[in-house]
Amino acid sequence: MSQQTATTISRRERIRLFVLRTLALGAIWVLITEADPGSLAVGVPLAMIGAALSVALQPRSLSAVHLPGAVRFAGFFLVQSFLGGLDVARRALSPAMPLDPACVRYPLRLAGDGPRVVLANTISLLPGTLSARFLGGDTLEVHVLDNHESVLADLAQVEERVAGLFGANLPPLQMGGDS
Amino acid sequence: MTWETIAGWGSTALFAVGAFFFFAGSVGLVRFPDVYTRLHALTKADNLGLGFVVTGLALRAESWIVVLKLYLIWLIVIVTGATACYLVANAARGSGLEPWTRERR
Amino acid sequence: MTLALEVLAVVIMATVSLGIYRIERGPTGTDRMLSAMLFGTSGVALTLVLAEITGIGALRDMALVFALLGALTSVSFVKRAWGAEDR
Repeated sequence: MSQQTATTISRRERIRLFVLRTLALGAIWVLITEADPGSLAVGVPLAMIGAALSVALQPRSLSAVHLPGAVRFAGFFLVQSFLGGLDVARRALSPAMPLDPACVRYPLRLAGDGPRVVLANTISLLPGTLSARFLGGDTLEVHVLDNHESVLADLAQVEERVAGLFGANLPPLQMGGDS
Repeated sequence: MTWETIAGWGSTALFAVGAFFFFAGSVGLVRFPDVYTRLHALTKADNLGLGFVVTGLALRAESWIVVLKLYLIWLIVIVTGATACYLVANAARGSGLEPWTRERR
Repeated sequence: MTLALEVLAVVIMATVSLGIYRIERGPTGTDRMLSAMLFGTSGVALTLVLAEITGIGALRDMALVFALLGALTSVSFVKRAWGAEDR
């Protein structure tokens, strides 16, 4: 999946990226100025400068997002982050404060920096899990509020959703004796 | 019932839910036993609280562009909040701060 | 219907004041940083609510800036509190 095309990118591709990014930044500009037409005199040049800088600094297109996967991911994310907030609110407000925290080590199957960052951030918003750090050897350390058996299986499911977002396939899961 | 009435009551209900999550997040920040558990409370509950407040405000917004802008702000808070959460947890782990665990066995 | 908004603003400020307890007690600098993160998210919510109450749209831009600054404060805190020994 990781292509080393950063140095050999064609002029045509650079122009294409420049146009796409100018449009994207321009759209954000229109949004934050609440479509004030007078502000376009500033916004259009700024969008072009921003796009030119981003093409110069990051000429590869960011890991391409897979559209149907993105829609499924958005639904999954909204439901799960709601459940995550509800779960932590219940624990905080319950007089007994049910907590059984632990750090678990999750062996990553997902490759690539971009997808892994999305995975780590997603995990932090889902019920009871929080990305603590990346360890060497493709392992993510996750802090959990409630250390139960299915934690690793839950994380594997999240990883599959993130893989779907990028249209990637994961190797089949091997449930080892990691703790 | 006019749209005004529906939007008014709907947004009021959403504000109540949002306020509940902000409150729960702060209670977690006060009650939870260590940095990691408190991070859970902050990251999840407060982002969700903001989501409900933003949705309530979106019902009352005067134009579509304002609705999109409100959700853009929420998206930025979610992404930066989750990233900041990772940075703080990572730094705390890196400094050797051990997570609190329940005494047992 | 601004009453609901005003009540919401007061409740958000009340929850922020709970965060002051964590600044007072600590025990570590990181715990105090968590309160700053709480102020960031609550500050965005409060500013957006005030924008709706007052009808001043520019307050939404302020909320946007709060959202972006929140990330920078966390990054600079982590860099300063733990230095650059491992990165």
